[in-house]
Amino acid sequence: MSQPVSAISIQGLTKDFSVTLRGVKLRAVDALNLEVSEGQVYGLLGPNGSGKSTTIKIILGLLDATVGDVRVFGVPANRVEARRNVGYLPEAPYFYRYLSGRELVKFYARVCGVSGTKLKSRVDEVIDWVGLSGAADRRVGTYSKGMLQRIGLAQALVHDPKLIVLDEPTAGVDPVGSAEMCELIRKLKHQGKTVLITSHLLAQIEDVCDRVAILDRGKLIVEGSVLELVGQRDRQALIVDPLPEADLEALRGWLAARGHSLNAVEQPRARLDQLFLSKVSRPGRPGGASAGVGSNEVPLDAKP
Amino acid sequence: MSVASVPFSFSRLSLIAGNTFLEAVRQKLFNFLLLLAIGLVASAQFFREFNFGSSELKFISDFGFGALIFFGSALTIATTAQLFFSEIENRTALTLLAKPLWRAEFVFGKFLGVFAVIGVFCALTIGLMMALLWHREGQLMGARPEDFANGRLIAYGDLLVVGVLQWLKFGVLAAIVLLIASFSNTNLFTVVTGFFVLVICHLQYLARDAWGNVDNAVLGLVVRALGFIFPNFQLFNLADQIGQGSGVSSVVALQVAGYAVAYIGVIGGLAVYSFRNREI
Repeated sequence: MSQPVSAISIQGLTKDFSVTLRGVKLRAVDALNLEVSEGQVYGLLGPNGSGKSTTIKIILGLLDATVGDVRVFGVPANRVEARRNVGYLPEAPYFYRYLSGRELVKFYARVCGVSGTKLKSRVDEVIDWVGLSGAADRRVGTYSKGMLQRIGLAQALVHDPKLIVLDEPTAGVDPVGSAEMCELIRKLKHQGKTVLITSHLLAQIEDVCDRVAILDRGKLIVEGSVLELVGQRDRQALIVDPLPEADLEALRGWLAARGHSLNAVEQPRARLDQLFLSKVSRPGRPGGASAGVGSNEVPLDAKP
Repeated sequence: MSVASVPFSFSRLSLIAGNTFLEAVRQKLFNFLLLLAIGLVASAQFFREFNFGSSELKFISDFGFGALIFFGSALTIATTAQLFFSEIENRTALTLLAKPLWRAEFVFGKFLGVFAVIGVFCALTIGLMMALLWHREGQLMGARPEDFANGRLIAYGDLLVVGVLQWLKFGVLAAIVLLIASFSNTNLFTVVTGFFVLVICHLQYLARDAWGNVDNAVLGLVVRALGFIFPNFQLFNLADQIGQGSGVSSVVALQVAGYAVAYIGVIGGLAVYSFRNREI
């Protein structure tokens, strides 16, 4: 029986750029190994200049590796065939301003080989999916940043790729737009898509990613599931109604009698972005409702 | 792992070309140069010599072709460089080349888009010039019928042929500019180098003439090589033959057209090769 193929497989990837005419090299990625399984939402993190975008460009065949092997669903990344199953949303996307949103998505769909009767239905479907049906016939030049990200996602999805690469999808977007992008990423995961995402907004990455890798100066520093990396397996949090001091003392005693200790008593807090989203109206969804965020109440962050 | 290959697609190529054309005609530069050229051609009738006869028609024709060549060259260089670098600088090339698209499709799509833009420019300029000539020639036929005993003097078919050859020459120039753009980092460098190459291509016949007078074998070889590397744009200047009685030979026209197509193919291929290794 054959081994399951990784969505992305990176083995010993090194990328050098010549920075002077004398051939002085800058190492952007240094001996990187990564495996992204199908169906995962994988976060690629790191400070500016850590090699995230270079790695993504190599995965997309826009750059060649100096050393190493990069494959997308088993196909070498520098081959055109590898990009058949890949959708890409670049950082701060800029599209042809003179086209309408619908014309733009249609253009990219045709470039990807979507044609015939499927073309119109697929274009309408993805535009509706990203919530831009009402603005689809407006020129892209009139779109807000959040709308540009969403039309960018639509063009990335129009040929129904198995892998979606999102480079800083929430950069420069307001919290409402960011939350909507995160919702769309969750939906993609539910559809079984593999998503590779880079972001500086670590809280968002934590919310949507199954696994993360942290790069620094081109090297892989940490890699693992979000739960493994940030979960505290030796601790537990219990969220209860407010307890009077006497009951709290009794609870301490009860725990001590069983060999445990009460390490912290804190007031749970809502996250500021969740408060923001519950108060600010969202385009097409007055009242600020969305999946996972109540329309009128601020959900509590379960983390102590 | 075996995967179905992605064949070279003329459909994708025409999509890129169509989008490039659309982008170009929406640019102010194209519309400005087009209006300027049309204005200049139209003004030929006000600058004509005042001795009635065929020389006046020749003047209008020369003036029209002068406008076509000057503005056509400027338009070709500026538009090709601009349309290529707008994709790179605006990073739309990132999105496009991350699709299952060959870089050859991108480069030739860009070329065909620019070629179509120049085609529209040439068609409008030549069309206007022919209309002016037809109108003026009709007036002269009425005023001096003895000069037109054998019918109209202007061979309008030849004018069209020369117009098409000029269009092909601009195609060669566009391919050269694309080749420069494929490895250049800036729009400015591409435009400046494009103008230098344009001058060389117009004057390279001097180098060809010179090689017979060079005694040094190595130097002769260099001169000969340069003569082949840079296309000879003087070959396309057949406008002088119009109205000279002989007309434009169809054999010569076909040979020049073949010469242009061959250069477009070779230079376009080099542009694809250079762009294939370019890091986006």
